[in-house]
Amino acid sequence: MPKCTINGKEIEVKAGATIMEAMYQLKEPIAHYCYHPGLSVAGVCRLCIVDIEGQPRPQIACNTQVTEGMKVSNTSEKLKDGIKWVLDFHLINHPLDCPICDQAGECGLQDQYMQYGKYDPEMAEKKVKKHKVVDLGPTVVLDSERCILCSRCVRFTEEVSKTNELGIFNRGDRSEIGTADGKLLDNKYSLNTVDICPVGALTSKDFRFRQRVWYLKDSETVCNGCSTGCNVKVYFNKEGLFRVKPVQNDQVNGHWMCDEGRNTYKFVNSEVRLLKGRVSTSSGVEEKTAGAVAKQASSMLKSAGSDAVLVLSGQFTVEEYESIVSKFVNDFKSKKIYHWNNNKNQMNDFDGLLIRGDKNPNTKGLLKVLEKHGISTSWSDLESALKAGSVKALVVAAPENEEVYADLPQNIQMFSKAQNLIWLSTRKNQALSDLKGNVYQIPMKSYIEKSGTFINHAGLEQKFKRATTIVSEALTLSEAADLLAGQEFKMSSTQIPNVLVEEKRRPDQVMLEHRKKNEFVFRRGTL
Amino acid sequence: MSIVQNNSEKSKWYLPGILTGMGITMKHLVQNLLNKKQMTTLNYPEEKYEYGPRFKGNHILTVKQDGSLRCTACMLCATNCPAECIKITASEHSDPAVEKFPINYEIDMLRCVFCGFCEEACPVDAIRLGPEWQTPGISGANFTYDINHLAHRPSLKGGILTHVDDQERHKSGI
Repeated sequence: MPKCTINGKEIEVKAGATIMEAMYQLKEPIAHYCYHPGLSVAGVCRLCIVDIEGQPRPQIACNTQVTEGMKVSNTSEKLKDGIKWVLDFHLINHPLDCPICDQAGECGLQDQYMQYGKYDPEMAEKKVKKHKVVDLGPTVVLDSERCILCSRCVRFTEEVSKTNELGIFNRGDRSEIGTADGKLLDNKYSLNTVDICPVGALTSKDFRFRQRVWYLKDSETVCNGCSTGCNVKVYFNKEGLFRVKPVQNDQVNGHWMCDEGRNTYKFVNSEVRLLKGRVSTSSGVEEKTAGAVAKQASSMLKSAGSDAVLVLSGQFTVEEYESIVSKFVNDFKSKKIYHWNNNKNQMNDFDGLLIRGDKNPNTKGLLKVLEKHGISTSWSDLESALKAGSVKALVVAAPENEEVYADLPQNIQMFSKAQNLIWLSTRKNQALSDLKGNVYQIPMKSYIEKSGTFINHAGLEQKFKRATTIVSEALTLSEAADLLAGQEFKMSSTQIPNVLVEEKRRPDQVMLEHRKKNEFVFRRGTL
Repeated sequence: MSIVQNNSEKSKWYLPGILTGMGITMKHLVQNLLNKKQMTTLNYPEEKYEYGPRFKGNHILTVKQDGSLRCTACMLCATNCPAECIKITASEHSDPAVEKFPINYEIDMLRCVFCGFCEEACPVDAIRLGPEWQTPGISGANFTYDINHLAHRPSLKGGILTHVDDQERHKSGI
């Protein structure tokens, strides 16, 4: 375990670690483009130069191993000047595309230029023109003029996705990223190349030109695309969600996520959401608030009593399952709770990297809660009961990601045989609105709008926090369970401190309560 | 209200001051009657004052030589706008040299404070504040100006040419 000193801070790293890894451990700032912790070392951008004591010239940090007693620094003015002129070389052929470039605002070149550059360019030559707006495949667009040839994307397709679509063609300043003739960048992880591109050379077709990144807020959550439970960041503004990006978690997903998971924001936005509660009975259709529908349904459920049946899909949080299952077991004395499994056959499929066949984020959590309450039922019982028409009231916690539920239309037809159907879902569904019988539709909150826990395929519990609100009227499954059981809302009265305000406050800042106290002590006229 | 009354002797000598003032007024009256061209007032609204070229009036979106919009939909004006009155929807252009362009550009003139920050932020001389300032309307909806009005209104006589042209920029190798 060699020890080294970086900018005066001592650190012990594992044998064979590079200076860059040591700097990542210390969270020391260092300029770099081509190095990525999830990929092999290329050493092509030459930007991560550091001074090593005893060596006459600067060395690159990403490809130099730490040796015992090494003294490294990257703070000297001379070194910063060096970085500045390396940056100049990167920018020789870089076009002035910032106004139309999607990366602007989160671009490596912009960041480093503001930190180290700010020079007057001394290149009198014309810029080399390359291909613009190259259609690389179904998801990615390439602009080779903007590319600085860091080769991160090439290494990604070689090492992580192992599909080898991308390569660097030509030589010298005419080098370009590209795919071989007739080939497309078409794999299930292709959009990761967009994430790791430090400039705007690779852009996502889905996100292209839809928003400027500085208009978006982000929040970390857990992907609900499949049972892997990748840690992701969602980007949103008041209009809704715009994109999903992976967050590093070595236990679960490393640095990556699949393209399919990036579409999970689409069923959260208000265009596809159920915005109002809806009751359709023999006397007609009524639109009501979610709470009003739930109250109306609760009186109906009470009359059904222990005949009430609950169907749960694997897309809710553990807390919600616990709440609604315990309500059914304790309040309605019904143990007719069924697990709606949409993908029995592909349950254990795995592509070797991230994608799993079970397209529910919380199947494990659901099974755990059912087991805890001693519920073991089989789907065929429900089917036969529905066919016989003996189900008085059926509550369905429907999936928000309806696209992966291929059996949804036929199951809706099957559920409609129940005398009363209570449908708890985030989504609008035309087939459901067309049903003739008594249907209560209650809008639910999606995974972005609530805090909770998902248990992934390996049994790892991952907590996530609410990111934003899209349908303010919607209920969580726990709230709906309370209302269905005839109880009032339980509002938590604890005030959440505003973190942003707390952070920005000066230690000596006079707050309102101080002022009040002062007013009391120093009353006018008494001093 | 508190009024300070000055009852001193000196304050009673108001007449010379009034006469001086009347004198100045009469002087200007005579001057204006004799030489109408030198008059500083205008017969508004028949006559109108022409403002300087730097006057910040209604916005203009400039056009390129082929008549298409210069704007690249970079949203810097909307970002810089303190009144948040600019709304742009970007889209992909079929020409790869243009790449990004606005399919919708709206300015809510009732929110606009005519600060000129949009003009300052624009990297391609796509938006300018022009000389017009009298723009009456009947309902509030008339004050949301779209591309059609901002770039092609009749008073612009076919559009204002931009100073920054991509063709020239590409030719000089930038």
